[in-house]
Amino acid sequence: MSLTELAFFALAIVAIATGLLALLVRELVHTILWIGIFFVDLAAIYFLLEAPFLGVLQLGVYAGAVTILLLFGIMVTRKRIFSRDAATGVGALPIALAVVTFIFLIGALGQLPGSAVPAASYSVASLSTLLFNTEAPYLLLLGLVMLAALAGAIYLVREGRE
Amino acid sequence: MTGGLASLFGWAFLVPLLPALAFIVIGLFGTRLRRLEYGGWIAVGAAAVSMVLALLIALGEMASPDTYTSLSYTWFSLPANPTFPYGFSLVIGTLVDPISSLMLIVVTVVGFLVLLYSIGYMHHEHGLARYYAELSLFLTAMIGLVLSNNLLEFFLFWELVGVCSYFLIGFFYEKPSAASAAKEAFLITRIGDVLFLLGIFIFFYVYASAGPAGLHWASSGFLFAYGNLPFLAGSLGANTPLLTIAGLCILAGAAGKSAQFPLHVWLPDAMEGPTTVSALIHAATMVAAGVYLLAMTSIFLGFTPTDQLAIVAIGGFTTLFAATMAVVHTDIKRVIAYSTISQLGYMVLAVGAGFAMVGLYHLFTHAFFKALLFLAAGSVIHAIGTQDLFKMGGLKRHLRVTGAAFAIGGLALAGIPPFAGFWSKDDILSSVYSVAGSHPDYWPFLIMAMAAVFLTGYYIFRVWFLTFSGDRIRDPTLPTPHEGPWVMQVPLIVLSGFAVGAGLLIFLPGFANLFLLPGGVAALGIPPTYGTTDLLLSVLGVALGGGGILTAWALWGNGRMVELPEGSLWSSGRKVLLNRYYFKVAYDAVGAKAVYSVARAADFFDQFVIDGTVRGIEQLFSRISDRMRRIQSGVVSDYAAYVVAGLLAVFVLLLLVGPYLVNWVGGG
Amino acid sequence: MTTLPVGDFLALASGLVAISIFGILTRRNFILLLIALEIGMNAAILSFVYFAAFPQCVTAATCHPLTGQAIAVVVIGLAATEVAVGLAIVLALHRIRGTTNVAEADSLKL
Repeated sequence: MSLTELAFFALAIVAIATGLLALLVRELVHTILWIGIFFVDLAAIYFLLEAPFLGVLQLGVYAGAVTILLLFGIMVTRKRIFSRDAATGVGALPIALAVVTFIFLIGALGQLPGSAVPAASYSVASLSTLLFNTEAPYLLLLGLVMLAALAGAIYLVREGRE
Repeated sequence: MTGGLASLFGWAFLVPLLPALAFIVIGLFGTRLRRLEYGGWIAVGAAAVSMVLALLIALGEMASPDTYTSLSYTWFSLPANPTFPYGFSLVIGTLVDPISSLMLIVVTVVGFLVLLYSIGYMHHEHGLARYYAELSLFLTAMIGLVLSNNLLEFFLFWELVGVCSYFLIGFFYEKPSAASAAKEAFLITRIGDVLFLLGIFIFFYVYASAGPAGLHWASSGFLFAYGNLPFLAGSLGANTPLLTIAGLCILAGAAGKSAQFPLHVWLPDAMEGPTTVSALIHAATMVAAGVYLLAMTSIFLGFTPTDQLAIVAIGGFTTLFAATMAVVHTDIKRVIAYSTISQLGYMVLAVGAGFAMVGLYHLFTHAFFKALLFLAAGSVIHAIGTQDLFKMGGLKRHLRVTGAAFAIGGLALAGIPPFAGFWSKDDILSSVYSVAGSHPDYWPFLIMAMAAVFLTGYYIFRVWFLTFSGDRIRDPTLPTPHEGPWVMQVPLIVLSGFAVGAGLLIFLPGFANLFLLPGGVAALGIPPTYGTTDLLLSVLGVALGGGGILTAWALWGNGRMVELPEGSLWSSGRKVLLNRYYFKVAYDAVGAKAVYSVARAADFFDQFVIDGTVRGIEQLFSRISDRMRRIQSGVVSDYAAYVVAGLLAVFVLLLLVGPYLVNWVGGG
Repeated sequence: MTTLPVGDFLALASGLVAISIFGILTRRNFILLLIALEIGMNAAILSFVYFAAFPQCVTAATCHPLTGQAIAVVVIGLAATEVAVGLAIVLALHRIRGTTNVAEADSLKL
């Protein structure tokens, strides 16, 4: 077992564990903590897969912005930040669906041959060349979506509606 | 004159069209036309114009009897196909020939006079707009029937007159007896109509596929065509049994319409309708349509010998059978109704024996004197407000016109010369007698018909004596009678004229042409062909009729009453007759048993199978939707679960079907 | 450079999707719901990055090895947007209903 593989295993176990913990802990602020770790962990996996730009993006957008945003959401919707969420039962159906999906994905995609060979390091410049040439329309579309989302968000939280 | 009148034949369609217009106008605006007797005068006017047109057409036929025009419009036609090698078409058109113009006279003249009489007779009733509209519709249908140039069109109008009859019998629909009489008439004639339709189908089956030369009857649209008559003559042989059945079906249809045994029960009950309706529909025209059908069938299609015997038997038996019941009844209209059945029996007898035109001759004369009798009876009812003979009496001093008219009608009915009935009835008897030698089977029915002549004279003058003779009204509570207005008296007088002279019309130059079959074949024996035996027969007939009258005088004349001793044979016989031989009871019992069991089964089927299915479907969806409704909880997580489940389902489906799909797309 | 077996990777990605689904279906708090969604999104992004490095893609002439990463960039952007809108909804819901429990927001009307 190579070092890369070992590292992947370790990171994978951490990702699964933090993801589960984030959803299962009763304290919402703890959830933010765990999800932050989860995001950082995934960023590490991206570095492992020789995708450093994405790793940085993950750190910046997810571990940074999204986590803070979520924390912010919790802060403004609670009187006391540390307060337990009402316990929610865990039904058989959700677990069954989750397990079936898991098995299904493993089974269906496990048929794929070969394994990934992380490419040699590449320059961020080549990625940006790709993004702003071939993939430019998608980037533009993303920009439009973000604009619409911004407008929608402002509309939703605007005062004086009732 | 000749050419001018013959050119009218093409306009014959106007004759039924005018009452049809009257029907539409009265039907739409009748209730607002108070001044015009709620449209009554419109109906009278339309009928009058129709009558003039019809008389002109008849004059044209009298002048040149062979001409007839047929204005045909093809409704639709099927091309030749393996089932019907000559194709099939439905046409609508008019046929103007001596026979139809004869019928036109009857229908329009009686129709006009009855409508005129109605103005006075019906004046106090409610729903007059309905009455005149329906009567106009009836005239339309009846004229359409006699002008039909093919059997299917004939059947269409045949049903239409039946519907009008139903409406008009049930005119006083608030009265339960009238409503049930209307239903009875409709249902019993329906039995005949269904068989009639079946007969048409059989004719269609035989003639649509049968061979060449003149047998393209169905393909040309069931036309009453003179070119190759009768069809039957050329197509007997292997088809004889089928055609016999078809003929019997036609007979059943005619028996239903003309109230012949055993479908006679509805006609006496139909007297629940207004007397005018009885006069027009249930004496002069519609009930004669059955005879007309038999005549048309015998001329254009022909009957097999078996059919002929059946027709003779039905007709001959009915004459006597109905006459016996007329003897005892005390309702003035019912007696005349039984007399109508009996007289229709004579016509059926004549047609069956092969003398279609003789039968139509009696139809012609009978229409006038029977309408006269009904209208006179209506005048009596109008004057004193009862139909019970035993409450009347001594009316001749108050109702001179009516009494005289009834007497003339009675004499015509009894067959006393020179009144109309004598000529035609005598003609029937001598005609049937002339073939009885070669058809010994006809003898019993001829004798029955002869016996009925005696009863006819008796029962009709029993009515006259009970009503008009004597010196006082038996029921003193009745109002003092007085004659109706002029609109009621004029029809009585005119019809009296016809009752005297309709038989003598045969001596009018050209009139006999109306009784010619095309090709110049004279189908009417008298008056020119009197032989010794015919003379004897006539004397016998008159003697029987006169004897009946004398008997009636002896028993009931001058206000006399006959009391039958209780418990005697006479009395029990009278009971049987008053109960109409228990036919109605039996029909009711059979109907109740058979129909109700069928109805119960149908009801069961309807309630449990059909309704059950419907309710089941309803409950199924109701339950499904009830369950489905719970899916819409509004909770986001639930929707997410459905999305995931659906996604999985799509995955599974792709896994299962995917390989085939790839093959299929790839193969394509 | 060593290789990462597809089975190992799939175990991780599928596990994350399963966790995400589990979270979406069981959590009632809107913020937790968003977090569960983000976990699923990350599984998708991870897949893009991983399969971009797949040998079949690296060697094929028609497939750029960086395309997967480019898509991943776009998806990260979308995911961030989604969180922003989601939080706006949370705030609106909180203001109108005084709760962030999605089970209580089960009608379309206010």
